[in-house]
Amino acid sequence: MASDIANLSEKEITLRNKKRLATPRTTGEKIAGVLYWIMRISVIINAVMLFFPSFNPIRVSGKTNRNVSLFSCSLSYEELLPQKVPIGLRRMDWYEPIFKSFSVIGIVIIIGTIIVIAGACMSLGNTKLKKFGAIFSFAGGLTELVAVLQIKSTTQELVNLSYVEGYYEKLEIFLPISMTVFMIIAIVNIAISVINFIILPRVKKGDKFEMEPQYHLFLMMLPFITLAFAFSYLPLYGWRYAFFDYNSGETLSMDKFVGFKWFTQLFQSEATKRDIVNVLKNTLAMSGLGIATSWIPMAFAIFLSEIKNTRFRQLVQTFTTIPNFISWVLVYAIALAIFSTDGFINTMLTSITDKSFTTNYLMNKDHMWLKMLAWGLWKGVGWSAIIYIASISGIDQGLYEAATVDGAGRFAKMWYITVPELIPTFCVLLLMSIANILSNGMDQYLVFSNAVNRESIQVLDLYVYNLGIGNGLIPLSTVIGMVKSVVSVVLLFAANGVSKAVRGESIV
Amino acid sequence: MSEIKLSRKEKLEEKKYFKEHRQKIKLTPADIVFNIFNYLFFAIFTLSCIFPFYYIFINTISDNTLVTKGAITLLPKGLTISNYIQMGKVNDLWNSVGITFIRTILGTALMVFASALAGYLVTKKEMWHRKFWYRFLVITMYFNAGLIPWYLNMAMLGLTNTFAAYIIPGIVSPYNIILVKTYIESIPAEIEESAYIDGASYWKIFHKIIWPLSLPILATIAIFGAVGHWNSFQDSLILNAGNAELYTLQHRLYIYLNQSSNLSALVQPGASASDSATIAGQMNTKIIQYTISMVTIIPILCVYPFMQRYFVKGLMLGAVKG
Repeated sequence: MASDIANLSEKEITLRNKKRLATPRTTGEKIAGVLYWIMRISVIINAVMLFFPSFNPIRVSGKTNRNVSLFSCSLSYEELLPQKVPIGLRRMDWYEPIFKSFSVIGIVIIIGTIIVIAGACMSLGNTKLKKFGAIFSFAGGLTELVAVLQIKSTTQELVNLSYVEGYYEKLEIFLPISMTVFMIIAIVNIAISVINFIILPRVKKGDKFEMEPQYHLFLMMLPFITLAFAFSYLPLYGWRYAFFDYNSGETLSMDKFVGFKWFTQLFQSEATKRDIVNVLKNTLAMSGLGIATSWIPMAFAIFLSEIKNTRFRQLVQTFTTIPNFISWVLVYAIALAIFSTDGFINTMLTSITDKSFTTNYLMNKDHMWLKMLAWGLWKGVGWSAIIYIASISGIDQGLYEAATVDGAGRFAKMWYITVPELIPTFCVLLLMSIANILSNGMDQYLVFSNAVNRESIQVLDLYVYNLGIGNGLIPLSTVIGMVKSVVSVVLLFAANGVSKAVRGESIV
Repeated sequence: MSEIKLSRKEKLEEKKYFKEHRQKIKLTPADIVFNIFNYLFFAIFTLSCIFPFYYIFINTISDNTLVTKGAITLLPKGLTISNYIQMGKVNDLWNSVGITFIRTILGTALMVFASALAGYLVTKKEMWHRKFWYRFLVITMYFNAGLIPWYLNMAMLGLTNTFAAYIIPGIVSPYNIILVKTYIESIPAEIEESAYIDGASYWKIFHKIIWPLSLPILATIAIFGAVGHWNSFQDSLILNAGNAELYTLQHRLYIYLNQSSNLSALVQPGASASDSATIAGQMNTKIIQYTISMVTIIPILCVYPFMQRYFVKGLMLGAVKG
C-alpha cells in the first residue's frame, strides 16, 4: 500500500484522505473527533503559556521580576525571589523555602504539560493508540491540576508567614489569574480524555498501535515546525512594543499604550529625523555602491578565465576565496595589523624612509563609504566569482571557435559571447541585492566604527543596534525595525515581479 | 555537483586544445601586454588576500622587542613561540576556545540532523498538509521581525545568558532544508520504494537509505554551518553580554581589538611622558591581538584546503535551489 502512495500525485492523495474520512464512522468516533480538536488546541495553548511571562501562574508576588515565564523560573528559583524589596528582607531566609516549592510546582506543571502533549500526539493514531493516549492525557491533566491547586495552598502559606514577619504588604502577594486558566485547561483535558475513553469503540483483539502515514510524518515534522515558530514567527509578537512607552525591565500595561507616538516621532523630532536621514544616506549609499560594483565579480571571473595556466588559476581561486570564510572581526584585526598606528604600512614606510610615520588610517572619517566598499570587495569578490567561473566553464566551446574563425579578437569574444552567457545569473543576483538594499548587515560596520567615523559609518542595522541595545530605546528601534522589515518584503516582491515579467522566472 | 568532474574534463580538453593550437596561434604584442597585466593583477590581488595572514603570523612568532620596535615587516626575526605559550596561560581565552568548539560541533551536528530529517520529510507527499508546512518553513527566509523583537523574544524564552542561545535557534535552517530536499528528490525513487515494500518504517528508511545517500550534501551544509558557528559573534554580543564565561572566540577577539583601538586614539604625536606607559601597554596589546587572531583563524585555514570542493559545491547547489 505504501508503495502506491509514493506513485500518487498530491491531488490524488488529498482525495484519498478525504475518501478515507468519508468512510462511515460510529457516532462515538465522530464526537471524539470533535472533542480531540478541542483538546489539541487547549494543549497547544497550555504549551505556549509556559513561555509567556504574562501567564506565569507561580509569580505570586508583585515584587517578582515580571519578565520571567513559568519555564525560566522553574529552572532557577532565584528568578522568583522578590526584587527591589526593602533592606533587610533579602537577608531573611524565611521565604526562600516557599519560593523553592513554587519552582518545584513549576517543574511539575512542565512535566504534566509534556505528558499531555504526548497524549495529544497519540490522539492522531488508531483507536488503540487513542485509548492509550487518553490515559496519558488523563495522567498529565491530573498532574497539572494537582500542581495548580498546590499553588493556592502554598500562596496561603506565604501570606500567613509574611503576616507573621510583617512583610505582607511589601511583598504584594496575589493569586495570578493565569492559575485559573491552567486549571480550566487541565480540567478540559481530564474531562475529554475520560469521555473519549468511554465513547471510543472497544479495541479489537490483535490490534496494534498504528498511525496513518500522514499524521506519523506530521508528528516527525512537528519539532521543526515548533522551532521555526518559536524563533521566526514568535518575534513578530514583539512588534507590540512599538505601540507602548516601554523601558527595559518593565512590564507592558495598557496605560502605557501610546498608539503611533513613536511612528510620528520619526518624522517630528528634529534630532531623530536628522539621525534617520543620515543613517538612510549611509545605508543607501553603501548598498548603492555595492550594487554599482556588482559587475566586478563577473569581470573577475571573465579575466581569470583568460589565464590559461591552470595551476596559477586554481591558486588564485583558492586564495581569493579565503577572506569570505573569516569573520568581520578578523577582517578588522587584519585592518588593524595593516593600517593602524603601528601597522604594516607605517612600519614599512618608517623603515624605508627613516622618518617616523604614525598615521592611523582607521581613525579617519574621509571616504568611509568607499573604504567599506573596498573591504566588502576584498572579502567577497573571490567567492562571488565562483558562480560565474562555473558558468563560464559550461559555455559551449564551439561558440568561441566559431568566433575565432570569424576573426573575433579576445575582447570581442569576451563581450559578445561570455558576457551575454553570464547576464542571466548576474540579473538574479542583482535583483536579490536590490531587494536587500536596506539590510547591509551590522557586523562590518560595528567592528569598523569608532568615535571618529561614527557619523559616516552608521547604517540602519547598526543604528537599530545602537539605539535598542546600546541606549535601551526599545520602542523606537522596534519601529525602525518594523518599517525596515516591511519595506524589505515589499522590495523582495517587487524584485520578484520584475524577474517574473522580464525573465519569466521567479527568484524567491 | 559535477564541478570536479567538469574541471578535470576541462583540463584534459584544454591540454589537448593547446597541443593542437600552440604552433598555429601566435601571440600578438597586444596579447602579450594583456597577459602581463592580467597575470600581474591577479598576482597582486591574491597576494593581498594572503599577505595579511602571513604578516600577523610572522609577528606572533618573532621576538617581542623587535615587534614592538616595528622591525618585523616581511620576514620573521628571532623565532619564538613564547607568545602562544603566554596566551595559553590566559584563562578566558581557553574558556572562549572551549565554548566556540563545543558550539561549533554541537550546533553543526544538530543543524545537519534537523536539515536532513526535515528535508526528507518535506519530500513525502502523503504528509498532512505538506505544502503548507513546507511554505511555513521556507517563508521564514524572506522576513524577519528585526533585531530588537528578536532579542526580546529570546529574553522571553529564557535564552539570554545561556549556552543554549547559541545552539537552539540555529537548528532549523530553511535554506539548508531546501538544499537537502532538492538533493533527495534527485535520488531515484525506486530505492526508497523497494524498502517500503519490504515494510521499512519512515524512520528506518531515513536512517538506512536517505542519510547515507545524501552524505555529500550533508557534508556541504555541515561545513557551511561549522564555519558560520565558528565565526558567529552577534549572538554572543547581544544575547550573552551579561555572562563573560559564555563569550565566543570572535567576541573575545573583538573585545581585545577594541581595547587597543580606544588606546590608540589617545596616542597622538608628541604624547606626554605619562602616555608612554599607555603606549607600552598598547604594544603588548598588539601582540596579544595578533596571537588571538591567529588562534581564531588557524582552524579555518587548516580545514579550508580540504573543504574547498565542498564550498564550491554548496554554492552551485544554492544556485539551482527551488
